[in-house]
Parts: sequence; C-alpha cells; structure tokens
Amino acid sequence: MRARHLLGLTLIAVPLLLALAGPFLAGPPGPRSVSFTPGQGHWLGTDFAGRDVWRQVLLGGRSVALVALAATALTYAVAVPLGLSAALTRRSWLEDLLLRPLDVAIAVPSLVLVLITASVLSPGPAGLSLLVTTVAVPDAARVVHSAALEIVARPAVEAMRMHRESWARIALGYTFRAMRRTLAADAGTRLVGSLYLVSTAAFLGVGVQPDAADWAVMVDRNRPGLDLQPLAVVIPAVLIASLSMGANLLLDAVLQRHGKELPR
Amino acid sequence: MSWVGRRLLLGLAQLAAVPVLVFLLTEALPGDAADALAGDEPDPRRIAAIRVAMHLDQPAWRRLAGWAGHLLQGDLGTSLVSGRPVSTYLAEGFGRTLLLAALTLVLLVPLSVSLGVLSARREGGPLDRAISSITLAVYAVPEFALGVLLVTVFALRLGWLPPTAVGGVQQQPTVLILPVLVLLARPVCSISRLIRAQMIDALASPYVAQARRYGLSEARIRWAHALPNALAPAAQQLARTCDWLLCGVVVVETLFVIPGLGTVLLDAVAARDIPVVQGLAAVFGLFTVVLNLAADLAARRLAPRSEVAA
Repeated sequence: MRARHLLGLTLIAVPLLLALAGPFLAGPPGPRSVSFTPGQGHWLGTDFAGRDVWRQVLLGGRSVALVALAATALTYAVAVPLGLSAALTRRSWLEDLLLRPLDVAIAVPSLVLVLITASVLSPGPAGLSLLVTTVAVPDAARVVHSAALEIVARPAVEAMRMHRESWARIALGYTFRAMRRTLAADAGTRLVGSLYLVSTAAFLGVGVQPDAADWAVMVDRNRPGLDLQPLAVVIPAVLIASLSMGANLLLDAVLQRHGKELPR
Repeated sequence: MSWVGRRLLLGLAQLAAVPVLVFLLTEALPGDAADALAGDEPDPRRIAAIRVAMHLDQPAWRRLAGWAGHLLQGDLGTSLVSGRPVSTYLAEGFGRTLLLAALTLVLLVPLSVSLGVLSARREGGPLDRAISSITLAVYAVPEFALGVLLVTVFALRLGWLPPTAVGGVQQQPTVLILPVLVLLARPVCSISRLIRAQMIDALASPYVAQARRYGLSEARIRWAHALPNALAPAAQQLARTCDWLLCGVVVVETLFVIPGLGTVLLDAVAARDIPVVQGLAAVFGLFTVVLNLAADLAARRLAPRSEVAA
C-alpha cells in the first residue's frame, strides 16, 4: 500500500536523521543555566540540569537507535547458531537440551528478566544491548528453529548429507540462505520490539546513567518540570513515538510488497 | 502422551523452574546482600551477623532448597531492608495493580473484538484501511511516550483529567482513565489486528459459504460462526499480552504515581532487597505460566483441529 509506505517514511525520517546526524551538529556544551526555563537564549529552553534541550535532543537519538540495532544483531548472532544446531542435529536429546531450557526461560516475565539482569550488567549502551538480547534470544531461537526444521526436511539437505558435505555448508550454505527471507521479516518485527524495550528500560532508569543524553531518559528526568517546560518532555517523546510508528508502518509496507503477513 | 498431557507437563516444569531461575539470576548479582546492607562504613562483625541471619554462610543449593521449601508453604521470606514479611509488600500493592489490570482486561476483549470484526467487514475498504493504519502505528509506541503525551494534552493543556493518581481512586475515579487508556493501547492494537486477519480467513472459508447458502443472516454468520474460530489465536495472544501488561503496569505506575506491585518491584531492585525481588518475580512468573497454560488449553478447546503451541 503506497500511502502507508509514504506515511511510514515521513514518520521515521525526522527522528532517524536527528539520531544519526545530531551528534555531529551538537557542538560543545554551553554554560548551564537555571533548570526548566523556556527560552532565554535556548531555542527549546533548558532541562532538569539546566542544559540546553535542543543540544540534548541532538545527542539523545543515537543511543536509542544504535542500541536497538545492536541488540537485534546480537540476538541473531546467538539465536541463529542455537536454532540451526537444534534443527540440524539428528540426536533428539541434543535438540531437547538446546531448546527445552528456552521454553522455560520464556515463562519468566521479560520485565523481571530485564530488571534482574540490569543489576548485574554495568549501565551504558553495551549493557543495555546485552540486556535486550537476553530477553529476546529464547523467542528468536525458537523462530529460527521452526523455520529451519521445514528446510532441513527437504530432499536437498538429505542429498547434501549423503554427499558428506560439512556441517557449515549444510547449515550456512544452504539452510540459512533458504530461510533468510523469513528471518528478515522476523528481524524487522524484532527491531521494532527492541526499540520498545530499549526505550522503556531507559525510561525506567534501567541500564543507563541517570544523566545520559538519551531521548527516553530525557522524558523521565524532565517529567517533574512538565508544567513549566513541557518541550523538554514532549519533543523526545514525540521523536520516540514517531520513530517507532514509522518503523512499524514501513516494515508492514515492505512485508506486504513481498506478500508476507506481519508476524507477531 | 496426549497433547493436553504434554502441555500440562510443560506447564508444571515451567512452574517449578521459574522460581529456581529467578533465584539463580539474583544469585548472580555482584557482591552479596550483606555488603549492601551493612552501609557505607561496613563493620565486619555486623556483616558476619547479617550473613548468618540470612544463611549466606551456607552453600547456594542449601539456601535454594530452604527458600523453595518455604515458598511451597506460602512463606516468601522477609525483606532485608525493612524486616517485614515479603507477603505484606505483595498485599499492599496487589489491590491497586489488580484494579488496573482487571479494568484493562475487561475493556480489552470487547474493544479489540469489535475493532477487528468491524475492519474485517470490508477488507481494504476505507474503514479497514483507517483502523489498520492506526492500530499498526500505535502498536509500536512505548507506553511511557504515549503516556506523557496524553498527560500533556488532556491533563495540562485541556485540564480535563488529573495528571497523576495521587488524589486517590475513591475520591476521584477519573484518575484511572488515562492509566487504563495507556495500558489498553498496545494490546488492543495487537489483538484487533489478529482478529481481523482471522475473521477475513474465516469469512472466505467453505463453511461460511455453506452457511450463506443456508440463508443464515450475515450477522449470525459473523458473530456465531466466524468469530469463535478467530478467537482461538486471540486467546493465546491475550496470554502473551499479560506479559506486556506487566511491563506496562510498571511504566504506568511510575508515570501516574500509583504505588502498586510494579513500584514495589522497581524499589526492591533499586535497594537490592533480594527476598522481595525473588518473591515478586516468582509470583509474576507463576501468574504468567498459569495464564499461558489456560490460554493454550482454551485455544485447543475453541479450535480443536488446529495444532496449537507446544
């Protein structure tokens, strides 16, 4: 659907551009002024610590976008080998050993997992990506496994096994290549999901420094000044909402073009 | 073994494993709780005393066994910070969180069913396109972003609704409107989209064509024949939604200053109050497991032919 495509592009363009180019445009930090004042030499006013809101907006998108991307990539770096090994092995005990723990891990509420893991990892972008990865791996590995099972049953894989092709060739050279479209669709949904989880964790103060330049942290920390200086909250919140909405609309438009339903 | 038997077995395994997993995770926290409790100027004798009181001098498996044993008897232990039983923490927050969750769930089902059925009436029509685009977009928005935007518009600009729930529910029931609206947004979008897709499939199926040939009314076909088939996957999604709902409840409680279970959990994690974290996590985990089990069994009952889960 063309309209949805266009709408998605429009929604995602501004926050993405700000996230990527912002840190280069931000310039050096200016002197701090009074907290929560609109105007007074600051285009968007000042935040809870008296910093320029516009500068924080320019700086704060990168971590949201990059952490979500890194977490998605990391999730697959763990889930693909795990799911593929489980699907390709002919020893059912090994398959059970690899997958059954995931069935159990899925039962732990993801927020509980986030909160508990957060206290083990050090706060910062790397810790936050690891956190989101931990939560996403069980489900991703199950998706990889069930997508691979269908391909592993094909005669081509049987023929490769009879030819004594190496595990790497069967797994990566054939099975992984055959399922990459399914995975691409799943990765899109997961990216939107990790965008959600990354920003929600940052909002709750989990896995981030309390004064980090991050849109979600800005929303949280500037909330006490919502009456005086709404821009310091509203602008980062709108940017995050627009980024998430745009990503999901665009993903749906791309998937529809390729004749796939949005998986959930 | 029958499908139901296997599913029950998996549920039991999860029930047993969740508390153990939570215990092991909290065990991995750096430093032990005695260090955290002893304060800034640790007195070695005090640390040793706390260790003995908390059985930290015993090996981990003994403590796990002891904790699990107490858990089975309904005893969740005592808070490290206040020394009060963990169950009192649960009891305090439970009512408020339950009120939020129950209101959301009660509104969720009729709202998403009617949105889904409405947009499936004419696939690709203007109404369907509008509903689909909106649900698709709103689905992705994190609760905290939606929440602060709604507060800014409806509480601060227009002044129609209170910005936080500080006033209390009894005095002012309107404090619940915004929190429940924020909690509803994502689940309604996801479930209504699922029901729409299932309804479109069901309405194109041979049995619906046959029902039309019998001359049944369109409304009866839609609500009595197509909808039950569309509800089976929705029941499972509903159970998964409860996992988000938990996440959403924590955000909403923070945003609207409602001291429920989510707030208790956040505070306990911040204070390293491990027994409270463990107790809450175990309770949340058990709740999730039971709900998923019920949903899978219900889905099986609603659409017996389809292979569901496990």
